Amino acid sequence: MIIQKISRILSNFDNILPVFAAACAAMSLLVILTLPLPYSGDQLYPKQIVPGSSLNPYDRGGPPFTQAVIHSQYPGNSPTAGYVTAYLTPLSLFISEHTLYMGTTIVAHPGGILDEILYNTRGLDTVVEPTILFVAFAVAAYLFRKREA
Amino acid sequence: MNEIGGAPLFFLEFGDIVIYFTPFTLTLFLLALVFSVFVLVSRPERQIDIAFGGDAYYAKEISLSELRFRRFMSIACGLACMGAMVTGDVFDFTLFVSLVGICNVGIVAAVRSRHVQNAAYQYGLVALAGTVPMFAAAAMVAATTGTLSMLELAKGTATVPVAARALLVLGVMGEGMAPFYAAKAEMFRAPGAPYVIMCSLSSLLIFLRVAEVILLI
Repeated sequence: MIIQKISRILSNFDNILPVFAAACAAMSLLVILTLPLPYSGDQLYPKQIVPGSSLNPYDRGGPPFTQAVIHSQYPGNSPTAGYVTAYLTPLSLFISEHTLYMGTTIVAHPGGILDEILYNTRGLDTVVEPTILFVAFAVAAYLFRKREA
Repeated sequence: MNEIGGAPLFFLEFGDIVIYFTPFTLTLFLLALVFSVFVLVSRPERQIDIAFGGDAYYAKEISLSELRFRRFMSIACGLACMGAMVTGDVFDFTLFVSLVGICNVGIVAAVRSRHVQNAAYQYGLVALAGTVPMFAAAAMVAATTGTLSMLELAKGTATVPVAARALLVLGVMGEGMAPFYAAKAEMFRAPGAPYVIMCSLSSLLIFLRVAEVILLI
């Protein structure tokens, strides 16, 4: 009887979203009850904030083309990590030498800081992320263009 | 090491993201691969409506552009599924699963019918909501254990909180909700076949894989 009732509710797909939202809300409450969770001090890819640096808070330290220390999970798999993490194009270097307040701008334009966590040690993540975006754009573009056909 | 899926046969390293093949993940990978090939070579089914009280019937044509888009989405879904089956990193797994969710939205949304489009919209909302607990789970794993690699977590040196596992399962449930909508929109036969099979298969595979992940970490 109860299964019949549940299946009748779930058989209308307008009801699945409220049910899932309720499940998410209940789960959030349960998770809040289990707090606080322990924080592990030994994190991968640590980064300290250097107040005087013009690349703050993206500075991973070291001069370019000498290996900076990146605490990765399997250092053997990415032996070249840390070599270009401090490389700046001449324009970025000029900006970084003259002002302390352009860190985000330097990071956000091509030739700024290459965060090797993104491009070397965790490169596959960075490939999958834009793939998600591209597929989402493809779906949106298809749905938008379909009206014209 | 806790070997729930059998002893690893082969490792493929992408920096810190190590893809590993155990008998379990290899089986799921091959299943996704075989179905992607089926989708690649198959042709869409044509819907036949029979008029009552006579011999008349009419066949619905599926345009080439619609076919192309749905085939593309199904193959993308197959590739995402293959990635989710073999990845050895919790964050990478959540990314692949959300890619599967987006591809499923695309497969359902490509059918030209108001009823199916409504279903796709509702499923899109669920998939969107499902990403929140899923990525929260990945963040909690990283914060409480300091690593994201399943191979490291399987050693049992750090315990993953039950809350993180529960959130991961809830998020994957949200992403894998596609068959509910596909079935209710009655697209398993004519309007969506055979590409809609990829919806069901990918949901099944990500459920199987998340069970392994939960038992492993």
